[in-house]
Amino acid sequence: MTAPAVPAPAPTTTPPHPAPAHPTALTRVRRHLPRFGALVFLLAIGYLVIAPLVGLQRLAFEDDARGYSAAFDDPDMAATLVRTAGLALGSLAIALVLGTFLAWAATRLPPRLRLLRVLPILPIVVPAVAAVTGWAFLFSPRPGYLNAALRTLPWWNHLDEGPVDIYTLPWIVLITGFGLTAFVYLFVSAGFGNINAELIEAAQVNGSSAAGVFFRVTLPLLRPTLVYGGFVALLLGLGQFTGPLLLGRNNGIDVLTTDMYVAVSQSPVDYGRAAAIGSPLLLLGIAVVLFQKVILGDHSRFVTHGGKAFRSGGRPSWVAVTGIVLYGLVALALPLGALVVVSLSAFWSGRITPSGFTLDNFRRVFQESGITDAIVNSLTTSVISVAIALPLGFVAASLLLKGRRFRVIRAAVDFIVAMPLGIPAVVFGAGFLLTYSREPFILYGTRTVIVLVYVTLMLPFATRMQLSGMVSLGDTYVEASRTSGAGALRTTTEIVLPLLRPTIAGAAALMFVLLTHEFTASLLVRAPTTQVMGTILFDYWSNGSYPLVAAIALVMTLVTSAGVFVAMWAAGSDIFEKL
Amino acid sequence: MSHVRIEGLTKRFAGKPPAIAVDDLSLEIEPGEFIVLLGPSGCGKTTTLRCLAGLETPDEGRISLGDQTVLDAHGKINLPPNKRRIGMVFQSYALWPHMTVRRNIGYPLRTRRVAREQARTRIEEAAELVDCSALLDRYPAQLSGGQQQRVALARGLAAQPDLVLFDEPLSNLDARLRDQVRAQLHELHARLGFTAVFVTHDQSEALALGDRLAIMRAGRIEQLGTPERVFEEPATEYVAGFIGMSNRLPLRRQGEGWGLADQPGTDDPSGAAGQTGTAGQPGATGQAVAHELPVPRSHSEISARLRPDDLRLCPAEEEPPDHGVGLPAEVVDAQFGGRHMDVVVTVAGNRLHARAPLTGKPWARSLSRGQRVTAWFAKDAAIYYDADGVRTATHAPAAAVGA
Repeated sequence: MTAPAVPAPAPTTTPPHPAPAHPTALTRVRRHLPRFGALVFLLAIGYLVIAPLVGLQRLAFEDDARGYSAAFDDPDMAATLVRTAGLALGSLAIALVLGTFLAWAATRLPPRLRLLRVLPILPIVVPAVAAVTGWAFLFSPRPGYLNAALRTLPWWNHLDEGPVDIYTLPWIVLITGFGLTAFVYLFVSAGFGNINAELIEAAQVNGSSAAGVFFRVTLPLLRPTLVYGGFVALLLGLGQFTGPLLLGRNNGIDVLTTDMYVAVSQSPVDYGRAAAIGSPLLLLGIAVVLFQKVILGDHSRFVTHGGKAFRSGGRPSWVAVTGIVLYGLVALALPLGALVVVSLSAFWSGRITPSGFTLDNFRRVFQESGITDAIVNSLTTSVISVAIALPLGFVAASLLLKGRRFRVIRAAVDFIVAMPLGIPAVVFGAGFLLTYSREPFILYGTRTVIVLVYVTLMLPFATRMQLSGMVSLGDTYVEASRTSGAGALRTTTEIVLPLLRPTIAGAAALMFVLLTHEFTASLLVRAPTTQVMGTILFDYWSNGSYPLVAAIALVMTLVTSAGVFVAMWAAGSDIFEKL
Repeated sequence: MSHVRIEGLTKRFAGKPPAIAVDDLSLEIEPGEFIVLLGPSGCGKTTTLRCLAGLETPDEGRISLGDQTVLDAHGKINLPPNKRRIGMVFQSYALWPHMTVRRNIGYPLRTRRVAREQARTRIEEAAELVDCSALLDRYPAQLSGGQQQRVALARGLAAQPDLVLFDEPLSNLDARLRDQVRAQLHELHARLGFTAVFVTHDQSEALALGDRLAIMRAGRIEQLGTPERVFEEPATEYVAGFIGMSNRLPLRRQGEGWGLADQPGTDDPSGAAGQTGTAGQPGATGQAVAHELPVPRSHSEISARLRPDDLRLCPAEEEPPDHGVGLPAEVVDAQFGGRHMDVVVTVAGNRLHARAPLTGKPWARSLSRGQRVTAWFAKDAAIYYDADGVRTATHAPAAAVGA
């Protein structure tokens, strides 16, 4: 060893011994402080999440459950239930098949075209309201661009309208399915990432064909992912609101969510009935969350992505490339193209006239104070909500990970935090509208109530993403800090937070994107004077100002894309996989 | 530096049934002593270390570091790690990737509020100790594994803690680096004289580093002693097996002498059949192999433990010397190992491993499967254990044996 001789350090530099600890009254109080803090936290998020749901149910059960009888004595109710289930299952089937195919295709891309992997995620960037209006511009029976184009074909040229009527259930199912595909794709892609490449290679070496490998090895290995992703997609399908509202509402194609919206937004307003309509969704959401916690337990959450990442065993496939490009064209380029054309036109007709293109619509978007106010509201409420949800999620994640001492509190937090993912936003929207329109918190029409809803909806994301960040960080960094003499506070500020920065940045950006998109809950809690982008778009849609709708939809999309770019820049391109 | 006292430490992990990781363990560590906890995985050594660090909550026991009681399960005292004056070096290094080497090493000084100027010099001293002065402004990701572990060492020592804990710090390094860092650590301890507890499952690491070794089994200390004593005189068969006496030969008293005992579950199908040695069966069960062994009269069933070095081979027709015990054996496999051959032989269904030197006697080079040989060992080279695995009373001389 070449180190110069250093005299053994004098032991006098060791810090003086603290007095031996005796359990005094003070230390006894201090020992219970963490439990007390955890309890306060539980009560806070418990009130935030559960109070609106309880408020709704109280109303529904008032006067001998008058709300329930009003809702379920309605002769249309059975049809609505069937339609809701059909919408959910139909769109789920479409999303599972498409999403799995795309995830498989993404692993079979040639190296030069690896960037195409993001294509199936991009539809998330387009707000649901924007996508749905885009589809309407394409397939509206009379003036839809693609319908007009199809009518030029010889076997349809006798038609005055159609051949597609987007305002019917099958098309609503299809479009909803497209919307869910991106989510399934994310889940399944992550599942592919967890499959050890050698398992696939072993199957090939042992003589399976490409199809054999897929059906006999890959698909069975993906089953847990597909089941879990399928449940999430099913819940999302049951809670679908935008498509049915914008496309089906005028033709009487009601599902539970739109029915519920009508009950609280059109006179006679009947909260009790609305609450009762939402109950099947509420119960199912709770059941799925419970199922997930009890059956899957802690295991699924603490799985770490070890081993070799999935390398597509197979050669690049042109089927894969074609499939992904085609999907990108259909799911992204078509509706966005329609939005661009309509936003540049003075009015919406089946004919595209490039000579008449004008930027007037965008000018109006930025001149009308109602619209600019809504944009400002969307941005400020989103930013504030993210700023609140992140620390809440951090505390919840820490409690879930480290709070083994308080088992009951921890289980309750785990459940409460998962609820907004299982229960449709429309139920929360109605609950918040009810709870914060009366004593003790009269917040109706303020931005505060929007922020409260947003924070609630984002709790699962804020918690899960930071939790997975903490899990992958492992214990040793923290233990090394503690054994180096740092207390819990210093360990958090100097070690955990800096190391989690990419995760937190990614979570923040993703939540910003989801919130600037937010339409369902916003529509319920907004007031005519307090709008966000999604709701103002809906108002113009209802008025029939279609070119303006298209312009607003595009502005929304741009704002969201900016958020995604920030997210990718801050957290790397795989942020979506951390969901 | 300070005296460390562990009394009755017990740690159970919840489960069905609850697993006892540490079972009523007591240990005293003198100031400046280097204690190695050695044992296979799951023996409770790491849990003991983590209890010392304050990273686990033990169910029973007391621990004091110097005059500070850091754990008293009855008095409800369990000081958090940051209230104990310790340093710790982790298997995965655990260098914080967002801090430079300088900030990593300086962290324990900052948490203990060492004045800035003093901290500066101490960081540089610590880095110099482990040859990392040139790396102070790099980030951990820019360092090799060996450098990272040396930095981790410097961080563990920087605050001059009363006690330094090592959790298998060398096992993530490749073989050559491991030897380097081990030598450096040994030298550092000799120079600085810190009190240390070092956990490992590697016997050569333990022998090289420890002032005393504690061989652990199922949450208890099986033997505690100097490396020499543990190596030469393993107190139990478990320790003997762990410390390199991998050959086990069960023996049974037969009249005045000793014969090979039954080996249940033998992998030689004919081994259990013959009562006396038959022509096709080397060293069958029951065959008398020795007249006298240094074992008290009271024992009738024993097992002899031998290092591969001490099991000699010679051609079948040769007789072993008088002080030796000869066994008819059959070669199963022979591997070339440079200066020696690693030979596996069966003796009455017992697989034994011999390390036959190649210097001077090239006979062993030509061994092949199925060949009959005589395996023998010097009576005092083996250590004899009774049926409970405890060493029999008559002591073999502690002189160095082996090739």
